[in-house]
Amino acid sequence: MKTSIFPLKPVAFAVLTALAALPAVAAADDLSQLRKTVETLQKQLQEVQKQLEEQQAQAKTEQPASRADVEQLQKQVSEANEWREPNTLVHLAGYADVGYEKTQGNNDDGSFTVGRFSPIFHFQYRDLVMLESELEFEVEDDGNTNTSLEYLTIDLFMNDYATLVAGKFLSPVGQFRQNLHPSWVNKMASAPPGFGHDGAAPVSDVGVQVRGGLPRMGGVRTNYALFVSNGPELSSEDGELEGIDAEGFNKDAEGNKVYGGRVGILPIPNLEIGLSGAWGEAAVSKIDGNEVDINDEGKRDYKVYDADFNYQLGSLGVRGEYVKSKVGSTSKGLAASGSANWTTWYTQAAYKFLPTKWEAVARYTDFDSAVDDRDVKQWALGINYIFTSNFIAKVNYELNDGKNNSAADDNRFLAQLAYGF
Amino acid sequence: MKHAKQSKLKIGLTLASLSLIAGMLPVPVQAFDYPAPGDFAQGAKEWADNCGRCHNIRGAKELRDDQWITTMFHMRLRAGLTGQEMRNILTFLQGSNNPSTGVIVKTSTATGSATSGLSGKDIYSQTCIACHGADGKGVLPGVPDFTRKDGRLSKPDATLLKHVTEGFQSPGSPMAMPPKGGNSSLTEGDLKNVIEYLHQEFGS
Ligand code: HEC
Ligand code: HEC
Repeated sequence: MKTSIFPLKPVAFAVLTALAALPAVAAADDLSQLRKTVETLQKQLQEVQKQLEEQQAQAKTEQPASRADVEQLQKQVSEANEWREPNTLVHLAGYADVGYEKTQGNNDDGSFTVGRFSPIFHFQYRDLVMLESELEFEVEDDGNTNTSLEYLTIDLFMNDYATLVAGKFLSPVGQFRQNLHPSWVNKMASAPPGFGHDGAAPVSDVGVQVRGGLPRMGGVRTNYALFVSNGPELSSEDGELEGIDAEGFNKDAEGNKVYGGRVGILPIPNLEIGLSGAWGEAAVSKIDGNEVDINDEGKRDYKVYDADFNYQLGSLGVRGEYVKSKVGSTSKGLAASGSANWTTWYTQAAYKFLPTKWEAVARYTDFDSAVDDRDVKQWALGINYIFTSNFIAKVNYELNDGKNNSAADDNRFLAQLAYGF
Repeated sequence: MKHAKQSKLKIGLTLASLSLIAGMLPVPVQAFDYPAPGDFAQGAKEWADNCGRCHNIRGAKELRDDQWITTMFHMRLRAGLTGQEMRNILTFLQGSNNPSTGVIVKTSTATGSATSGLSGKDIYSQTCIACHGADGKGVLPGVPDFTRKDGRLSKPDATLLKHVTEGFQSPGSPMAMPPKGGNSSLTEGDLKNVIEYLHQEFGS
């Protein structure tokens, strides 16, 4: 509409000047001249008016036309193939938790904590391939935020029984790290000792795996995972092996791959028994907290054995896992030392008081580390309130029996709110 | 060190927010021609058999149909399912999610009181047993116990027939009864037979 007002201005101006000029012309006493002038002015004015009307008419027809254009465009966009039948799916999942923690004994007044925020991204192209990635944001005690890539894999669905998974993945050894560690899944606020970072159970690894489910035979389900990976690196302290860093190294520094796998058998629905392991070589890359050249250190045998089970009977869920990691000896390098073992096992029972939302959990763990200060036998007891299947409040008490005066000996109170999305 | 962490954090957060936005765009329901449809009744059973093993069982109504696609591919890897099991469970979840608009469950396909020739017992043990169990007490959270006195079977038969035909969900219930138990080939006659069977077998 604005545009149609503007051309009027010069017209009005012309008329006004013409009128202002009138008396002067009349004084010239040439009436016919004056009439002529008025006539030409009139004509001009009519012409201008005609042009103006044409313009306006044009503008009118143009406006609906361009609106129709936009609508057409919108329609095209909404009908475009990728929206009507999207071949690519983008999906966000993940979990987060917040809590409160108080260790008994060493003057701890208790602290509020934010656990992890772990978004999971899925990008999927039809039923052929999927990219899965989990990030982990963690606030450290000093307030800094730590980010890490928990896993990142490209999964190629080859056929109904096999998927190729390549990248950084959660270790297929055992079940806790792969399947139970997310806080909305874990019935306890903490991981069982030895199943956390730097414990007995491998956390993640970089490599390739093939995994899937096999056709049922006589009602028995079977699933499997086979992998080859870079494997872990080791750390040593005070001349002894101290830890296995099995958290996914992007470079196989010591040059020997680790091979492993897991088979899960479900003789009846909701009962799974898993056997898994990993074999390879590893070397020390850190001595007393300082990086060393891994190539100067002797290669050691590395073996992991694991057995797990998982049974769901109505409101009762029982599960457990045993894992042993063995690292051999070497006489080569700065960290030359004898062999070392890490062993841990836990069992857990959880009972839902249906139809209420309450759940009671008890867990027993016995962790035997290569470092005696970290050994612990733990009873953990908990009460959960299951708001919804993916939002859970937990209150736990841990009775820890470790070496006297070691941190592993202190009992702990934990409360946690966990949300999975 | 701190710098590296912070810039990593920034990239991460940008990525996170981008994906959040992308993930929240609604996608029209009937939009997917993949994966191939599976078997609804098998899917109901396989869902009950597999999906409560690691975490609380997740009901069909918790996610949108398109979200179930990615989630089921994700869970296929976690749970070690075969492709067929995954497709069956996906069909079951999407079908129970959207009884009225579901692509797979078409309630209009079989009407009239002709029966398929199956007895109420056959129908129960083929289609209904996956959720209601051999003893009628229900094997999943949200499935009612038929054997209870003044339980669901005390409702008038016309109401039961309507609910079984069209699907039914009580307010706040974690799970819906899918139309015809997910078996679209059942006729009205079949459903009358199976309701008759429920009365005989589980009391009231
Ligand atoms: C072997 C253990 C296991 C089984 C069996 C399992 N899940 Fe999961 N599920 C997980 C884990 C672990 C996560 C958390 C995501 C992660 O850490 O990658 C998860 C996440 C989810 C989520 C959250 C969204 C997402 O994609 O992360 C949903 C919904 C879900 N599962 C549904 C199911 C259904 C339906 C089944 C039955 C087919 C099932 N799960 C069987 C382990 C399992
Ligand atoms: C996928 C699981 C599932 C299958 C398969 C299934 N049901 Fe149900 N059924 C349910 C659930 C869940 C409810 C409770 C719904 C609610 O009240 O929210 C229910 C409720 C019912 C009710 C009570 C309805 C009411 O008005 O309270 C009847 C009757 C019934 N089912 C019959 C059947 C029959 C007959 C079949 C087989 C043809 C069948 N169901 C198959 C899950 C199932």
